[in-house]
Amino acid sequence: MDTLSYLGQGFGVALSPYNLVTALAGTLIGTVVGLLPGLGPINGVALLIPIAFALGLPPESALILLAAVYLGCEYGGRISSILLNIPGEASTVMTTLDGYPMARQGLAGVALSLSAWSSFIGALIATCGMVLFAPLLAKWAIAFGPAEYFVLMVFAIVCLGGMAGDRPLKTFIAALIGLFLSSVGIDANSGVYRFTGDSVHMADGIQFVVLVLGLFSISEILLLLEKTHHGHEAVKATGRMLFNLKEAASVFVVNIRCGLLGFIMGVLPGAGATLASAVAYMTEKRIAGASGTFGKGDKRGLAAPETAIGASCCGALVPMLTLGVPGSGTTAVMIGALTLYNITPGPLLFEQQPDIVWGLIASLFVANIMLVILNIPMIRLFTRILAVPNWALVPVIAIITAIGVYAVHATTFDLFLMIGIGIFGYILRKLDFPLSPILLGFILGGLMEQNLRRALSISNGALDILWASPISLSVWVLTAFMLVLPLLRIWRKRSVQRRVLADA
Amino acid sequence: MILQRLFAFVLLAVCAALAVMAWPYQAAFSYEPVGPRAYPLLMLGLMSAALLYLLFRPTPIVHSDDEPALDHATLTKIGVCVLLLLVFAATFEPLGFILSSLLIGVPMARLYGGRWLPSVAIIGVMSIALYVLFDRVMDVPLPLGLLDVLEN
Repeated sequence: MDTLSYLGQGFGVALSPYNLVTALAGTLIGTVVGLLPGLGPINGVALLIPIAFALGLPPESALILLAAVYLGCEYGGRISSILLNIPGEASTVMTTLDGYPMARQGLAGVALSLSAWSSFIGALIATCGMVLFAPLLAKWAIAFGPAEYFVLMVFAIVCLGGMAGDRPLKTFIAALIGLFLSSVGIDANSGVYRFTGDSVHMADGIQFVVLVLGLFSISEILLLLEKTHHGHEAVKATGRMLFNLKEAASVFVVNIRCGLLGFIMGVLPGAGATLASAVAYMTEKRIAGASGTFGKGDKRGLAAPETAIGASCCGALVPMLTLGVPGSGTTAVMIGALTLYNITPGPLLFEQQPDIVWGLIASLFVANIMLVILNIPMIRLFTRILAVPNWALVPVIAIITAIGVYAVHATTFDLFLMIGIGIFGYILRKLDFPLSPILLGFILGGLMEQNLRRALSISNGALDILWASPISLSVWVLTAFMLVLPLLRIWRKRSVQRRVLADA
Repeated sequence: MILQRLFAFVLLAVCAALAVMAWPYQAAFSYEPVGPRAYPLLMLGLMSAALLYLLFRPTPIVHSDDEPALDHATLTKIGVCVLLLLVFAATFEPLGFILSSLLIGVPMARLYGGRWLPSVAIIGVMSIALYVLFDRVMDVPLPLGLLDVLEN
């Protein structure tokens, strides 16, 4: 019952005119950012952090703005994948499989609104799940001491590798790079300057915004250089804009199933929207069997990944809010934003600042409804944005990125650092390393070191405190399982290959 | 493959150098059993182990089909682009935001296949509009540089 009254209070926060306008602005900005090649949810949210801070937004409005931008970006990514057959980001790859054929059949408007509707249901299911489970998890998490937290973070990092599928080693290396980078700067406990190279600018450590924008914007700008020769023609969105009841009903079961799946995948650290959409699509394809026209414009094939993405985006907020452990690149950026406001996400947030937590949850509902409504009148405008050529877009992205970085400390040192990080990120990308584990590692690194040192201070240096309690012991078991999982998968793939070879 | 090995090797060397750098980190006074150097060394150690594995068993790189192989022309373009970004960072404060964005924005637009006149027009309008939007409307201070004289 408590939960419901808190939720009511949250709606009070989210529905205040000021926050409604914030959410509307956020969804609009997010959609445009998601539409543009070279900008995704991670840079979108990161660019807005210094701006939200400069505007003097109160913390709950800033968080609502960032969450709305996050959802808007996911929606914008969908538009380019349905109309252009170009996934705006990795998670919308599955959307192109059936969304683009639908658009080719003259159902572009229906495909767009149906995907928005699916994503809305997914987010709704996940938000309900969040309302049910987040307070429980938060209550349970209060029992966590530094040792348990340390183990939990080890689990989160290992989970990233275990979930990454085909390239666990590279994911692991990327996460370690992030974990290491977090130790640059003054050590808070002892005052020792670490890896600063005697530079004043590094004493404070690497700024999170600099890292994010370097890794994602600058490397993307360099990647876009390889693709200048392409010209793309968007499918015109004409005819019926809104799906009808029959179409909605035909995918309703899919929505429910994939919503639950997406929520669970979102809560697990490291799995995220990309994996959730892929698993949802594959599962539905298998369930539909021969009756489906998957890959040729099946509505279920469009609804499944979209529902899962919507659900996992909201699900990812659960570990972030209750444990302070981000589950995806974007939530890592949001934690970075919260720390700017001196708010530490974690179990105590639910008790101390219920306005922020429940206001955010309620505004997710509101932002999702806004996206469904915006879709109908705005879609023609949005499709026109897709026609902006790269040569006009890229310099503007570069300039805005520089503003975002300069806004943090007003030093050009940060600009140089960003370019350096960007080149490094570009090389990593060319070598097939995933980048978002670096962000997760960077955010978790500081927490991990603090908790490890705190735990060992409690035990006076005895290592066995790390596996003393039943909670940490069970998390270790899970960690071991996650470590073995990719090995098992590789081993199975090899044995299948061997069998095929033997048969041939 | 060879590039990946080279990368693993270089990063391994960087890890070693950083570890040497971290070795003398010690707190003058300490109330805790774990000092400031344990955690970075642990991370560097784990990273080195993973990189060593990568050095001997590089994983194949999967290229998506719309990503052409790097040729000489693209590499030159990337070099020019990086150079432009560096010039931007260097002139950001001395020239001011508007002038430095014009200086690098127009060549950059050309690099991505824009024509002269539209590039100059769009970058010119955008740099002034962004300055007004961020500096005046949103209170994000940006340097005016040489255009300082125009103020007051």
